[in-house]
Amino acid sequence: MSDYLVNLGTKPAARKAIGAMGLPIPLPQKLARCSKPWTDRPLQDRNVVVGQHAAGELGDVLARTLAAAGADPHVVVGEEGLAPYLKHGEAHGRKVCNLAADAKPGGKTHALVFDATGLETPADLKPVYEFFHGRLRSLARCGRAIVITRPADCAGDALKAAAYHGLDGFVRSMAREMGRKGSTAHIVNVVPGAEERIEPLLRFLLSERSAYISGQAFRVTDLVVKDGGATNGVSGHRRPLDGKVALVTGAARGIGAETARALAREGARVVIMDRPSEDGPASVLAAELGGTMLACDITADDAADVIAAHLDEHHKGHLDVVIHNAGVTRDKMLVNMDEQRWDMVMEVNLLALIRVNEALRPKIRAGGRIVCLSSVVGIAGNAGQSNYTASKAGLIGYVRAIAPHMAQQGIAVNAVAPGFIETKMTAGIPVATREVSRRLCNLSQGGLPQDIAETITYLSSPGAAGLCGNVVRICGGNFIGA
Amino acid sequence: MATAKKSKAKKSTPKKTAPRRAVIVGGVRTPFIRSFGSLTRLDTIALGVAAVKGALEARDVRWSDVQSMVWGGVVLPSQSVNIGREIALDAGLPPNVECTTMTRACTSSLFTAAMAAAAVERGEADVVIAGGSDSCSNAELKMPQSLMHKMAPTIMNRKSGPVDYVKAASKLRPGKDLVPQQPAVKERTTGELMGESAEAMAERNGITREAQDALAFQSHERAAAAVASGRFADEIVPVDAPGGKRVLADNIIRGDVTLEKLAKLRSAFKKDGTLTAGNSSALTDGAAAVVIMSEEKARALGYTDLVAFKSWSFDAVDPADQLLMGPAISMPHATQRAGMKLTDVDIVDIHEAFAAQVLAVIKMMGNEEFGRQRLGLKGAFGDIDPTNINLHGGSIALGHPFAATGARMVTTMANELIATGKGTALLGICGAGGVSAGAVLEQI
Repeated sequence: MSDYLVNLGTKPAARKAIGAMGLPIPLPQKLARCSKPWTDRPLQDRNVVVGQHAAGELGDVLARTLAAAGADPHVVVGEEGLAPYLKHGEAHGRKVCNLAADAKPGGKTHALVFDATGLETPADLKPVYEFFHGRLRSLARCGRAIVITRPADCAGDALKAAAYHGLDGFVRSMAREMGRKGSTAHIVNVVPGAEERIEPLLRFLLSERSAYISGQAFRVTDLVVKDGGATNGVSGHRRPLDGKVALVTGAARGIGAETARALAREGARVVIMDRPSEDGPASVLAAELGGTMLACDITADDAADVIAAHLDEHHKGHLDVVIHNAGVTRDKMLVNMDEQRWDMVMEVNLLALIRVNEALRPKIRAGGRIVCLSSVVGIAGNAGQSNYTASKAGLIGYVRAIAPHMAQQGIAVNAVAPGFIETKMTAGIPVATREVSRRLCNLSQGGLPQDIAETITYLSSPGAAGLCGNVVRICGGNFIGA
Repeated sequence: MATAKKSKAKKSTPKKTAPRRAVIVGGVRTPFIRSFGSLTRLDTIALGVAAVKGALEARDVRWSDVQSMVWGGVVLPSQSVNIGREIALDAGLPPNVECTTMTRACTSSLFTAAMAAAAVERGEADVVIAGGSDSCSNAELKMPQSLMHKMAPTIMNRKSGPVDYVKAASKLRPGKDLVPQQPAVKERTTGELMGESAEAMAERNGITREAQDALAFQSHERAAAAVASGRFADEIVPVDAPGGKRVLADNIIRGDVTLEKLAKLRSAFKKDGTLTAGNSSALTDGAAAVVIMSEEKARALGYTDLVAFKSWSFDAVDPADQLLMGPAISMPHATQRAGMKLTDVDIVDIHEAFAAQVLAVIKMMGNEEFGRQRLGLKGAFGDIDPTNINLHGGSIALGHPFAATGARMVTTMANELIATGKGTALLGICGAGGVSAGAVLEQI
């Protein structure tokens, strides 16, 4: 499952030799990842350069986020924008470096963040260009670039909408260019009133946990009703899932098992659910994580009742997080696809999922989270997978439809759409197809199950309260799919 | 009185008595001597014995009245870790005096004093000795653990013969198994020397070399003045070192130091850093003890000038962030618990591990956003003028035997309240591992 080009790229001599010979072999950057427990300061002592268009509205929340996360802020915001950075910098012992418009910070820059909420017309895109144009070269490998703006549909007038939407194209292109060095770029669209909710998202995106997400647009809203006990004080970021009960379907192996591990690491009591035939690995994993094992086929008619009974028996009937991970593929060109293949994939991936989810909805406590695993091919389509893509695209429709309703109960519903992930399943793909699939993304490499697990863990945390009905692509910036 | 009208109900409830209060009757310390000086051949137990005996003699306490002892230590001897018990036995206290040793880095003896007060207030004892001692001169050189792992099975096996010993010894690698580990004031989790952590705090909080040197100068100047005026005469007991030498006074205080001399010193922990040997506390040998009694007992024995703990707060911060910032949390917490504000406090005494750390802590307590985000206050805890703290010098000038500093501060501040007639003193100490302590003393 290891990527030989990524491994080769870690050896300076090989890099040099390939460069000297002028061979047209791209050597992808090995991504910096993190699978240790969450900490209070994921950006400890890292330089983050912050820019702001004249009337940016996020100075205070950005300053607080960076100082509390342990970053050393280098700001290009003018005298009037400096105050919040000084204020929060002093509270956390972070000296603020006020950069002149073209200066560079001492040492490597880990991230570039631009507050573009103050854009008025498309002409205002120029300062955004100037900010990144002058600084991208100084960005460290596996760095981050983030633009924060308003959604175009909240702009109110056409010029603003053009400006906001212009950023979307800008960031996606920037992400394509940055991928070679393992760096990623994102755009965060904040609905007015949801400003406070960007902090956990920024902590996630700026950290190494978002390594394989590239060129993604996030919409942050205040739709999800927050319960009182969200983040508090200095240690609010550690063990975010303490005391929560998480159900992971298809958890015995692969991405499901990795997700269960990450959720348990952050304090969740995990129900490892998988088909009865997988009871061996499922029970081993449940013992490893101190969770419980539930042998249940999601397509069984009484699946929801069995889950409810298990929760009653082992977890006082509590349920906080549901990860709909179980899924199957039965690929065939549409003209050759028999009815059985169609039915099976649709049943496991979509129909049973919806059935179980509808039955579990009333059991999920306020502050709960649901994450569904869709797929990049569900967004882009793929030859030979009409059944699979129909189910995964259907899932996106389902998530978007129920998210606003469940938000009123304080429950955030989101989906993740993995791209090419290095698993046993993808290791079985013919070499040529696999090689093409791997390289067709900004980062020129496949992702790892832990990339999905870390993203799902973030989406399961109280800090994901700003996301409602988002589909997060974890695909290294795949060239297909939006 | 809210219950005055309910006379019937009042009759049926038992009469409420005032809660027991613990009081500090007095304390002493040994001279604080730079490590590897004249106290080198006295270990932490011997220094503790000198302080305990001195405290009992100075306050004329009958030894048979002592019921318990709570002692602190940081550099503990591995063969006898409960040094409190060893001190009591060596001093000749009655064998039924119960003894505990606690370790909480540099806050140890403020912690033991508080625990002693708590025991008295719970009614567990009427007379308790608290304090702490440390001798960096007698820190143990530790052999690598791999030496024991390789040799112990052979040594512990009765059947082992010379051949087995030779076989076991042949597996030893001289470089890794036989070179002792050097003791260091180093964080276990981060691997940073404490000075490096303090250097980072200076940088992050914008504490200049000049400000640090000014505080160090102030510390030496005031300590020298206190010695000259006889202010410490009742607080220091002489110690007889082996060889017949009697050690009478501290030896780290430099009354002749000038700002110019301090400015010439090289940085100690980082190239072009701001921390120097002059504005950091030195490795020191010494001990300090305080006698704590129930107020009733103290009054019955005829003690009149009494000081009590009004509150205390023991906290901890992430050692990987700002290791020594804890007093900025503990001092406000203790003040709040005492039902007071900073403006109600008469005297402030902060342990000077490093001048940079003291100044950073003062800066944090004066910062509005720090007050809001870290202390849950509406604004800053309050402004403290560095020239108004540590009236008789601090650890930079006096020295800092880790576990003795808390008891030293309690003694000096209790005496200060009595001498000046002032009401309250606020104490703050930082420690390794990110622990901290704060306390408010009041004259009663």
